[in-house]
Amino acid sequence: MEQMFKTRREFLRSGLVGGALAWTIPAFVSETLNSLHAEAANASVVDKTKPILVVLQMAGGNDGLNTLVPYTNDYYMKARPSLAIDPKNVLKLTGEFGLHPSMTAFKDLYDAGMLGIVQGVGYPNPNRSHFHSTDIWQTASPEAPKTQGWIGRYFDNACAGADPTVGISIGRQMPLAFASGHPLGISLENPESYRFASGDDGDREMGSEAFYRKLNSPQMIEGDGTELNSGGSIGAVAGSPLQSHRGSSLDFLERVALDAQVSSDKILAVTKKVKDNASYPQSQIANSLKLVARLIAGGLPTRVFYVSQGGYDTHANQFPAQQRLLGEMSSAVKAFFEDLKGLGQDQRVMLMTFSEFGRRVAQNANNGTDHGAAAPLFLVGNSAQKGLLGASPSLAPGDLVNGDLKYTTDFRGIYAGVLEQWMKVESAPILGAKFPALKCVAKV
Amino acid sequence: MLRALPSNQWNYTTAAHLLNRAGFGGPPAEIQKLVDMGLEKAVDHLLDFESDAKPNADPEWAKPDPERFKRLRDMRDADPEKRKELQRMQQREQRERVQDLRQWWLERMVSGKRPLQEKLTLFWHGHFATSVQKVKDGYLMWKQNDIFRRNAAGNWQVMLEQVSKDPAMLIWLDQAQSRREHPNENFAREVMELFVLGEGNYTERDVTEAARALTGWSIERGTQEFVFRAAAHDRGNKFILGKLGAFTGEDVLKLISSQPQAARFITAKLWRFFAEDNPPKEMVDTLAAVFTAEKQEFKPLLKTMFMCDAFYAPGVIRNQVKSPVQWLVSSVRLLERDLPPPMVTSNALRTLGQELFAPPNVKGWDGGLAWITTNNLLSRYNMSAFLVLGENPMLPPPGKDKKPRPRQRPFRPGGPTDVTKLFKEEERATKPRLVEALERRFIQGHLKDKQRAALIDYLDNQGALNQETILHAIRLVMSTPEFQLT
Repeated sequence: MEQMFKTRREFLRSGLVGGALAWTIPAFVSETLNSLHAEAANASVVDKTKPILVVLQMAGGNDGLNTLVPYTNDYYMKARPSLAIDPKNVLKLTGEFGLHPSMTAFKDLYDAGMLGIVQGVGYPNPNRSHFHSTDIWQTASPEAPKTQGWIGRYFDNACAGADPTVGISIGRQMPLAFASGHPLGISLENPESYRFASGDDGDREMGSEAFYRKLNSPQMIEGDGTELNSGGSIGAVAGSPLQSHRGSSLDFLERVALDAQVSSDKILAVTKKVKDNASYPQSQIANSLKLVARLIAGGLPTRVFYVSQGGYDTHANQFPAQQRLLGEMSSAVKAFFEDLKGLGQDQRVMLMTFSEFGRRVAQNANNGTDHGAAAPLFLVGNSAQKGLLGASPSLAPGDLVNGDLKYTTDFRGIYAGVLEQWMKVESAPILGAKFPALKCVAKV
Repeated sequence: MLRALPSNQWNYTTAAHLLNRAGFGGPPAEIQKLVDMGLEKAVDHLLDFESDAKPNADPEWAKPDPERFKRLRDMRDADPEKRKELQRMQQREQRERVQDLRQWWLERMVSGKRPLQEKLTLFWHGHFATSVQKVKDGYLMWKQNDIFRRNAAGNWQVMLEQVSKDPAMLIWLDQAQSRREHPNENFAREVMELFVLGEGNYTERDVTEAARALTGWSIERGTQEFVFRAAAHDRGNKFILGKLGAFTGEDVLKLISSQPQAARFITAKLWRFFAEDNPPKEMVDTLAAVFTAEKQEFKPLLKTMFMCDAFYAPGVIRNQVKSPVQWLVSSVRLLERDLPPPMVTSNALRTLGQELFAPPNVKGWDGGLAWITTNNLLSRYNMSAFLVLGENPMLPPPGKDKKPRPRQRPFRPGGPTDVTKLFKEEERATKPRLVEALERRFIQGHLKDKQRAALIDYLDNQGALNQETILHAIRLVMSTPEFQLT
């Protein structure tokens, strides 16, 4: 926790007035701190023409075999007596594989050369717990649990000192993927209400909004001392047992309060600039992507957006549930790229999906499937490497591991590919090791 | 090992801490009452809730439906159009019941005489996290809630078996559909991973074998009661946690809950919920030993926890992020106002990320620092305006524009807070006294000097210390990082 305050200080130092002067910011500066903060960030770290990654989480463990369907495979048919997709309904991509019938939008993207499907994605010794496996994907660490996310480490490595809006998670939650030693990124549900609403008729100088800013301002938080000190203990009343040990939770809250204040001003500006009138299908994931497009068009310095869609944990009566989810997801993604094209932003954006695991090859007795292992992953965009990527895993009973598909592509190879070829950064410092990068981008 | 808190450290701060954690906080007068009781009496007062006043009545629909069989038959026999209509009616009724149930529970937290029982019920709801999204039946959700409440400070094995056979749980984790030909592993896995042992304390084989042993546990459709279907049960030998036998579902629960790890797992989770995010290993060992010695009874364990000085350590007090439920209920209690109407409370909790009876998944809410994101923090700040001012702060104030204010029916929380109830006349007389009283009630400690100065500055700018000004000052105090902690 100490760490992140040091970073924020370092940032204020470099971005504002330079050197140790930052510790004696005169009172009037605090009023304009936000705009200075934003300017500094924009100028030095983030270039609005840089590529953007959108990560789409399919939470719950999507059944990969009924997503990219091996429709001529006898093992598949045998393992899924009532759940196999009828070959005549499969949206055929090759002589062996096709998409779930509800994914017509992805078939269109595939035909347009904008869709890459990595087959058999997983990791060694697969974990079948939703939560543990999700953590593994989010931290890129199957071996030992880590507290930092892979996107958070990207921010640390490539975006240090950036504005908090460098990463935006749509929704109320912050994904573990964003966690880092020097956290950046915000969560945002509804841009119109993402601000402090004063509820009085006071103006910016005298009304409660001005004092909300003071009560939550970095100057207030940092005190006027000149030494590095933990945020929580500054300004404490001497001898109070309440104050002297209030460490991490308050530090964290103060940090989030500052990021909320800085980012809400920018989001408000974007909502005034870009109207909410693009046409999308009706679904939660479509709404999320619609908001992402709006934020991109508004010129935020964001490099990574995170959206998610839940409900893939289909232990019983899988077909109708998965049909709806895959239909909503694929049609939303297609609408998103059409919207981006209209906004002239489609060349900057690549979208990658993931799900914590696939499901067992054999269905269960409830017309559903239990937790499994390897599954396909989608890359979408004008620059995405198109077609079926990587090797398809074998469904022969002798090749399965505990009834599960054995992975053919380690997901960290995809992260490496996306980081190196799309985000143009070295992947090893972020992923902790050098993984053979999958070719994710058509023209590097 | 565990030292009781010395009596000379029992004061306003420590008593406030007990009431915050073992309940939903309260105004200064309630805290002072606990101070006057002394530590042990105060803990007993909270913990012996069975002997306390009769709780609020159950919702009137919270009983088996004698007409259910007939209703199911009517539905089956109806023509497609009529069936659709019946289904719609049923869905509407269920939605209303869940709304009703949420408010009923919040009401018990706000004004019931058994705050610890409700706090524990909330703990168990987060532990055995079951969602109405899948269960789709208000009566079954109430029934499960009632199990949590009745066993709140009871015996672990009893609680575990009752919850495992609870219809809402049997639906939630697909156990009701599991048959010997194809056992469904969902419940078998989560009972080990999330309810009793924790990841890494069992094998994949244990999950598969336990799933076999649990086959046959199901629900009678008409009565909505647990039923054992012998024909669906796998009678064969199973190998679970190193033991071989023709185990039943009940055997599985006993096998896993009698592992030494089981005591460590649940006591650590309780300590995390009540005391601190990262329980030290020695603390967990000690609590697990107490729990085992007390034959897995929660009441003596809780008494040990609330009496020991580690619970009142400076790093523990006011270092926990309020959960949204804690934030809402304690705010209403601190403002000494009525709970806002159901539309407001359920909207608030959904927005803040803790919709009762609808946890995000079977793991429950992550809690701790995860409650706080930029989005949620701004939502808390704005919702505090609802509670304090009785107005939606997103709307322009009256008279600012010529247009009449839109009706905000769903958000009307029932008028502003009454400041004369919260502060004595002398506390409202001068600015320093008012700020001091604000701190004592809402922060139960001190703001930073600069924050106090900013508040005084705000009050100076407003002129007279009238109701309107004091309301905005309260709202500002609630819009600080400090107020989000308890």
